[in-house]
Amino acid sequence: MMELQEIGGPFSTTVTDVVVNFAGVQLPLDPYRQHSRKTFFLSLLQSQSMGSVLAAASSSPAPAAAGGSQGVPGLVSVPPGFTMPSVSSVPATSGSDQQTADAESPLPNPGTYEECHRKCKDVFPLQMDGVRLVVNKGLSNHFQVSHTVTLSTLSDSGYRFGSTYVGSKQTGPAESFPVLVGDMDNTGSLNAQIIHQLTTAVRSKIAIQTQQHKFVNWQCDLEYRGENFTSAVTLGNPDILVGSGIIVAHYLQSITPGLAMGGELVYHRRPGEEGAVTSLLGRYTGENYVATLTLGGAGAHATYYHKANDQLQIGVEFEASTRMQDTTTSFGYQLDLPKANLLFKGTVDSNWVVGATIEKKLLPLPLTLALGAFLNHRKNKFQCGFGVTIG
Amino acid sequence: MSGSEGKKGSSSGVMEWIGSACRFATDRNDFRRNLLVNLGLFAAGVWVARNLSDFDLMSPQPVT
Repeated sequence: MMELQEIGGPFSTTVTDVVVNFAGVQLPLDPYRQHSRKTFFLSLLQSQSMGSVLAAASSSPAPAAAGGSQGVPGLVSVPPGFTMPSVSSVPATSGSDQQTADAESPLPNPGTYEECHRKCKDVFPLQMDGVRLVVNKGLSNHFQVSHTVTLSTLSDSGYRFGSTYVGSKQTGPAESFPVLVGDMDNTGSLNAQIIHQLTTAVRSKIAIQTQQHKFVNWQCDLEYRGENFTSAVTLGNPDILVGSGIIVAHYLQSITPGLAMGGELVYHRRPGEEGAVTSLLGRYTGENYVATLTLGGAGAHATYYHKANDQLQIGVEFEASTRMQDTTTSFGYQLDLPKANLLFKGTVDSNWVVGATIEKKLLPLPLTLALGAFLNHRKNKFQCGFGVTIG
Repeated sequence: MSGSEGKKGSSSGVMEWIGSACRFATDRNDFRRNLLVNLGLFAAGVWVARNLSDFDLMSPQPVT
């Protein structure tokens, strides 16, 4: 079950990080939402009286906005991926079959391609700006709404209404389908996602994003989880009339119980222009660490995640972009003290940016207070934010 | 005569190499230089994560 503090943070009530790069669309960046490294589906476990249905929880990588420092420019970042309980190995039989079973134990499912770097990225704090008030309210076992008021100096201030519906088809202890998530702001801009488990191994997702009345992003995902591999196809902004669109194909294969390798192919087409970008990925999972490397024509991305103990997690990230001719190294850590109801994240990177966020539950009130600040010493810029989440 | 000129040539070559290395190391606009520096920082960060993170914040404080 996903902890409410993980998903009910001040920046996690909205969803839909969608394909932007090759469509040439520059979305207005909401620093809380677009830079979010997670996309959460709200847990509906509010109280015993409301049951214990949990929405499918997933998180997404930060969108690779043009010129942004998150992600590898040139590679499309698809919206939130899926999470499923990992396929456990077949239990070894006793007696003489023990060794045979051990030798032939099936490889685990490696998860999705987008989630390979996520463990490290989740350690880093999110930039906060202005004031944010979030009120979450569960109305039933299946339905939850949220109200978000944002006051910001960098982006537009406003109100956003979000809702989440979780269906009755339970596929696991922590997942139910279909999942419908949507939110709309006071200007009429809509973000919506529909996730449904078609079969035991096939999952589909449709995501739509509008700016007021105009559709800016629409895409469809199809993911197949095999016994020891995962493949996914994403169709982004298809336009038959104009003849444009983006196709992203992912494949990830378990080589050994700790090693997974895969690749990504991105094909984009516009009138008068088309191209393809490929990248390869390798991930090694140790006892308490995960090392991941992505190499492609657009650059390289390496992350190292280390869980020192139950309280301390460390992430180190390296990004190199051949298109932007830029490299960045970031170091981040996360301190989780559940006894103190405290979550602290800090980061420092090679661009002389230092930042931190702190989240504190104000028990017994259903309040979570969040404070954050980022300093860019090189550009002499400072940014801070404050947020309160109720419910 | 030619020996001393040869030594001067080799020493000037070494000085030129040192000078170019210093210019490379201090040129913040050089992509390769930044790449090497950041790779070194990444390796240092991984070393710190693996070797300097084994402390327990919730352990009782030693009695002084």
